[in-house]
Amino acid sequence: MATAKDDISLLEHLDISQLNCLNEEPQHDLKSILAGKKPNTSPDAYLKSSADAQLLMNIHFNQAVRIRTLVLRSATDPSRGPETLKLLVNKPAISFGDVEEASDEAFAQVITLNEQDVREGRPVALKFVRFTSVNSLHIFVESNQSGDEDVQTHINAIDVLGVPVGATKDLSGLRQEE
Amino acid sequence: MPLEATMIIIDNSEYMRNGDYTPSRFDAQSDAVNTIFQTKIDSNPENTVGLMTMAHKGPEVLVTHSKDLGQILKAIHTATSKIGGSIDIPTAINIAQLALKHRENKNLRQRIVVFVGSPLQAAGADEREMVKLAKKLKKNNVAIDFVSFGDGIEEGESSVLKSFVDNASSGDNSHLVSVPPGPHLLSDLVLSSAILSEDRGIPPGAMADEAGPSGSGGTNNFEFGVDPSLDPELAMALRMSMEEEQARQAAEEQARQSAGDATVSTERADDAAEIAADDDVMLRQAIAMSRGRDADMGMGDEQGEDEEMDEEEAIARAIEMSMKQDHGEQKKQ
Repeated sequence: MATAKDDISLLEHLDISQLNCLNEEPQHDLKSILAGKKPNTSPDAYLKSSADAQLLMNIHFNQAVRIRTLVLRSATDPSRGPETLKLLVNKPAISFGDVEEASDEAFAQVITLNEQDVREGRPVALKFVRFTSVNSLHIFVESNQSGDEDVQTHINAIDVLGVPVGATKDLSGLRQEE
Repeated sequence: MPLEATMIIIDNSEYMRNGDYTPSRFDAQSDAVNTIFQTKIDSNPENTVGLMTMAHKGPEVLVTHSKDLGQILKAIHTATSKIGGSIDIPTAINIAQLALKHRENKNLRQRIVVFVGSPLQAAGADEREMVKLAKKLKKNNVAIDFVSFGDGIEEGESSVLKSFVDNASSGDNSHLVSVPPGPHLLSDLVLSSAILSEDRGIPPGAMADEAGPSGSGGTNNFEFGVDPSLDPELAMALRMSMEEEQARQAAEEQARQSAGDATVSTERADDAAEIAADDDVMLRQAIAMSRGRDADMGMGDEQGEDEEMDEEEAIARAIEMSMKQDHGEQKKQ
C-alpha cells in the first residue's frame, strides 16, 4: 500500500457549485464549512442536521481523485458528532430513500466513529481500492453519538485526503482574454 | 429567480365537477395550473414543470419535466375526461417525489404544488402519517405548496394541511393558500399569493401588503379590478376620475362644516336678541332633554315630532346655505 505522506487535501479540487447536502439547516449548511476549500477552523461555522440526526452530503470534485483518508471533526459538541457513516462513490442522484433501506454491502464503506474520534478529528483510513476514481463522494450520516435520532448532528470540519488522478481538467482558473 | 423543478399535482376527483368556482372547479384549476406553469418558466429558462393527477383510478403522471406549454395543455385535456374517484394525497406526493428525483438537471431544487379541492380521505386525513411524510420531504429538500379550494378548505382538513406545510417548510419555502369560492378567479389569487411571489421577484416578506405594480403582475392591488399595465390610459383616466371625486367629496364635507358653524352663529344671534340669552338657552336645553326622554318612553310623541321638525328645518336650512355657498364658489371658479 502506498504511503500516505504524498497525500494532499483534496478540498482544493471541490466543485463548490455542485456541493449539496440533504437535511441540513439553511443557516448551517455544508457550504459554510467547505466553501473555503480547506478544513473549516471557525467554531461559529458548522454543519447541522435539521429534521433528525441524519445527513446526506454530496461532495463533488472537479476531477477524478483517489481518496485515502477521511477526517470528520465535531470539536464544539462531540456528543452530537456523527457515529455511523456510510460512504458511496459516484452516485450523483441519491436521496434518503436510497440509502436508508440499502444493506451495508451496497456501500463502498461503513464507518463507526466514537466520541473521541470526532472530538479530535482522527483520520479514518478508507478501503483504498474502492476510492481510486472518485468524481463524487456521498457521505450518509446515519446516526450520531447521542444515539437519539431527534438530536441534531453537528459537524465542524470535513477534510478529504488523497491524490488527484491524472492530468488536471480544472479550467476554472481560465479567463477569457479581451 | 429560483432554479426549480416543479411537479403540479391536480385534483381530478368527482368533487371537481362542482360549479362554485367560475366556470367550474376543474376549469378554474386548469387556469391556475396554466398560470403557475407560465410564471415558473418565465422566472428562469431552466425551470421545468411536470403534471400529474391524484384521483380517478389512482395517481398518474401525465407530464414529466417539460418547458412546453402544449404538453401541459394536452395533459389537462386528457385529465378532463378522467374526472372521477377520490384523491390519494400521500401516494401522489410519493410519486411526485420520484418523478422529481429523476430530473435531468440536478441543480434544480425540487418543489411540489398540490391542488386540493375535495375532502381528505383515509391516509390523507391521518395527521400523524402526513406529518411523517412532511418530515421526509423536508429531509430530502423538497418544498411543497398546497392550494386548497372548494371542499379542501374545511376547518378540520386545513389544519392537517397546515401542519403538513409547517413540518415540511424549511426557510419558509412551503406555503398553504386557501381560496374560498367567490367572484374572483382561482388563478388570479394563486398568482398574487406567496406560492409564486418568489418567481415574480417579490421578496417573501412583502406579500402581506401591496404587491406593487410589477410588469408581469396580472391583478395587483389596483383598486378598479383592471390591470394597469395592459391599458395605461384607462388606468390613468380611472385614477383621475377617482381623484376628482375624492376632491369633490372633501370640498362638500368642508362646506357642510362651515354651514354648520353658520347656523350655530345665527342661532346665537337670535338668542342675543332675546336678551336673557343664557338662561333661555339653558331652559330650552332642559325642555328639549325632558322632551327627548318623553319621546324615548313613547309619550309626548307630538311634541317629539315638533322637535324633529325643528331639527329637520335646521338641516334643510344648512343644506340650502351650503348649496348657495357651493354655487358661489363655482361662480368664482
